Amino acid sequence: MQWKRITAVAVTVMLAVAACGSPSSNNSSGSGNTGDAGTAQEKALDPTLKGPAPEVEGAKKGGTVTVLSDVTPDTFDPTNTYFVDGNQIEKLVFRALTQYKLDEKTQKPTLVPDLAEDLGTKSADGLTWTFKLKQGIKYMDGTPVKAEDYAYAIKRSFAHDLYDAGPTYQTQFFKDGEKYKGPYASGDNYAGVETPDGSTLIIHLAKKFDDLPFYAAFPLFTPIPKAKDTKKQYDLKPMATGPYQVASYTPGTELKLSKNPNWDPNTDPVRHQYPDAWNFKFGQDTLKVQRQVLASSGPDANALNYSDLDSSLIPEVKDKSQIITGGQPCTYVWGLDTRKIPMEVRKLIAQAYPFDTWRKVAGLSPQSAIPASTILPPAVPGYKKYELEGLTGKGKGADDPAVASEIKSKLKDLGKENFELSWYYSNDDKIATQVNQLRTQVMTAAGFKVKAIGVPKAKIRTMRNDPSAPVNIGQGPSGWCSDWPSGTSWYAVLFRSDAVELSNSIGMLQDKKLDAEIDRVGALTPDEQLKEWMKVDEMILKDYLPAIPLYYTASYYPVGKNLGHVVNDPTQGLPEFTSMYLKQP
Amino acid sequence: MSIGLPDSTVGVEDHPASAEPVRDSAVPHGKSPTRIAMDRLRKDKVAVVCAAVVLFFILIAIFAPLLAKLEGADIGTFHPELVDEYGFPTFVANAEHWFGVEPKTGRDNFARWVYGARPSLIVAFVATAVGTLVGVVMGLLAGFIGGWVDRVISWVVDFVLSLPYLLFAIAMVPIVESVRGGSFNLSPDEQASTRFFVLIFVLSFFGWAGLARIIRGEVLSLREREFVLAAKAIGVPTRQVLFKELLPNLVAPIVISASLSLPAYVTAEAGLSFLGVGLIEPIPSWGQTIATATNWFKADPIYLWLPVLGITALVLALALLGDAVRDAFDPKTRR
Repeated sequence: MQWKRITAVAVTVMLAVAACGSPSSNNSSGSGNTGDAGTAQEKALDPTLKGPAPEVEGAKKGGTVTVLSDVTPDTFDPTNTYFVDGNQIEKLVFRALTQYKLDEKTQKPTLVPDLAEDLGTKSADGLTWTFKLKQGIKYMDGTPVKAEDYAYAIKRSFAHDLYDAGPTYQTQFFKDGEKYKGPYASGDNYAGVETPDGSTLIIHLAKKFDDLPFYAAFPLFTPIPKAKDTKKQYDLKPMATGPYQVASYTPGTELKLSKNPNWDPNTDPVRHQYPDAWNFKFGQDTLKVQRQVLASSGPDANALNYSDLDSSLIPEVKDKSQIITGGQPCTYVWGLDTRKIPMEVRKLIAQAYPFDTWRKVAGLSPQSAIPASTILPPAVPGYKKYELEGLTGKGKGADDPAVASEIKSKLKDLGKENFELSWYYSNDDKIATQVNQLRTQVMTAAGFKVKAIGVPKAKIRTMRNDPSAPVNIGQGPSGWCSDWPSGTSWYAVLFRSDAVELSNSIGMLQDKKLDAEIDRVGALTPDEQLKEWMKVDEMILKDYLPAIPLYYTASYYPVGKNLGHVVNDPTQGLPEFTSMYLKQP
Repeated sequence: MSIGLPDSTVGVEDHPASAEPVRDSAVPHGKSPTRIAMDRLRKDKVAVVCAAVVLFFILIAIFAPLLAKLEGADIGTFHPELVDEYGFPTFVANAEHWFGVEPKTGRDNFARWVYGARPSLIVAFVATAVGTLVGVVMGLLAGFIGGWVDRVISWVVDFVLSLPYLLFAIAMVPIVESVRGGSFNLSPDEQASTRFFVLIFVLSFFGWAGLARIIRGEVLSLREREFVLAAKAIGVPTRQVLFKELLPNLVAPIVISASLSLPAYVTAEAGLSFLGVGLIEPIPSWGQTIATATNWFKADPIYLWLPVLGITALVLALALLGDAVRDAFDPKTRR
């Protein structure tokens, strides 16, 4: 139930979501006691925005910001980064072709150019994209950034056996993407990228990929000079183009950033360089560091933690301004294997699910988890609220004896008495074992037979990801986040037939009619898609019910009292680091 | 007291208690060391109070289901309506839930507390009994028979003492689970009970060696004493020499060892459960509760205090009682 990872769009081969990360997230508007998962991100573009970024009001320069994190990003290699926290931290160090600018008031993200002059130009057939590159960009050591470096970085991302955690859209959409295996194995000759002169980058696609400018915001599109590529060691001393450079990195423990003297603010429409240095400490004890940050005594006032506040610490929040709230583009679900459980029984399971009790036992506070009634979360454009009966993310379910006996008799009518439900749970995690007890009790009361298989926490993701697992509930991703603001990063990845093989499937749907419908909507223009995806969403839940939507996540994390301009970045659900400053450096 | 004292009258009556002071003619002749110790214990106020406390916890453990029924709650039922949306209990205590409810789940604290006494006591007493039995037998054999038997047993004792006990406790669980058919085929209850028996086994396995060594040393010195030599000379069978002649003289070290290991095992069980390698849900145990409750301490102190008080009182009582028993059996403390 935890993740800090952006998940894949389209049909990419990647390990599913729900990676290691912070506990659930919250969002509270000051006094309100229920969060909201954020308002829909517009798929807004501004190809003309120029640097420098307007100064943040009252911002001061100087000081060191400490980030005390309980989770540990496994890499800071730009090619290999797919987790949201690694992604967000790397924005301090790497510049890509595009980036998001957050609206000062609403935090709505707009895609703006970063190292490219614009957001790319598409050819008439949609298969060739041309990016004009900004000139005069330098690495932190003063050497100029060349167009070939962009091309090399893209080629490098095809070495997926080496950078196995990174995103993989390029192998799906780029020309020869399936054949080319990166510069180490296949050499430098790759037909998918081209640099005709020093200021142009051309990307050739195998099939239409209109979301490419959004994908170009990933750190994998930062320039990497071939001479400096040290493969797996690259994250120890990467070539920085952003406002900060890596001063020292101890994998798994600490990352220290210092100012990059060769970053030119006039070329960057979003980033700032207020603090002198950043100090990230990983693998900390969640409750301990959250207490520290809330208390804000001494150096802790300059610290923040980007995991959502543990609900047991909520009474210790004295100053509401220390809690940062905002949307996250994620939904958690409880997958039901459509191959093994008949539709009628799936409906009864949904009816029996004890949402209210479960939320308390799982330790989800109202801010952390907003009851979900759809698959698409509100933070993704196109979201429109609808509620199907029994799928509101609220209610007692079979925790209510009357409902339990009703379901029991319905099961009997179906001839499915004692229908066996089986799932994995982590037997070395206290909350997971309690949640398991609750689900077992409630489902047993509703007339099901429950087989709960306890497995170690370290193994559970691998076992769930196996499409042939001997369980019929909870396989595949336990939730999903948008890679960029579009429904394309949801339905095609999760519910198409081929998702089963890629272990991305929720509910193991293999339905020709649904595949056709997803493909039909996917081929529409982005504006038309906006209206259509929600219909697909409703159709999936109504006609197939491959999963019970549980909740949308939202941000709710503690920051020190001395930090200024901490805002939530709804594209990642994390603080926007590049405009933060210390009130008293 | 249920420490399982050896029958104190068997074969002891005829032994003149060593250094017995001049006795009153009204006192029956030849009081056994055990009897003397018991008399002294009875006069020791600390010992009596501690024995009462231990007895109290034993009764709680035995009658846990009855007590929970009396209160009208059980250990497994979730009461989400009794905690607020953040998981905090909405009240401290009431007539239905005497000690309040657990944060988040709303399970009854009192029921979980009385049931929590069970694993602590069962683990401690069973491990002590098994460890003592094995230790005494091994020590007797090694000391009395000598020769290769002694060498083998002594080697095994050294070997066991050299094994890392914490690692063993952690590593045993998956091994036993795979023997029982793999964690795939075990229900949560079976997995929890596996942990329970593994814990008892590990504690007993590491508990006997120290005692065996002590007993062996005692026997080595005793077997050269006249009464043993005499018994052997008149052809008393070895078994009888071991259990009728030697064992009664070993009551003191055995009782002391047992009384000291009891509190140690209670602590060990709680400590391992606290660390997450001992007992797991759904078996309620104080160690686990403490681990969870530390997060809720500020908001719900009673949730933490209950198991802490339980463990502290039990361990303190057992430890002081052990001290008193040792004093009572030690001739040097005679006043």
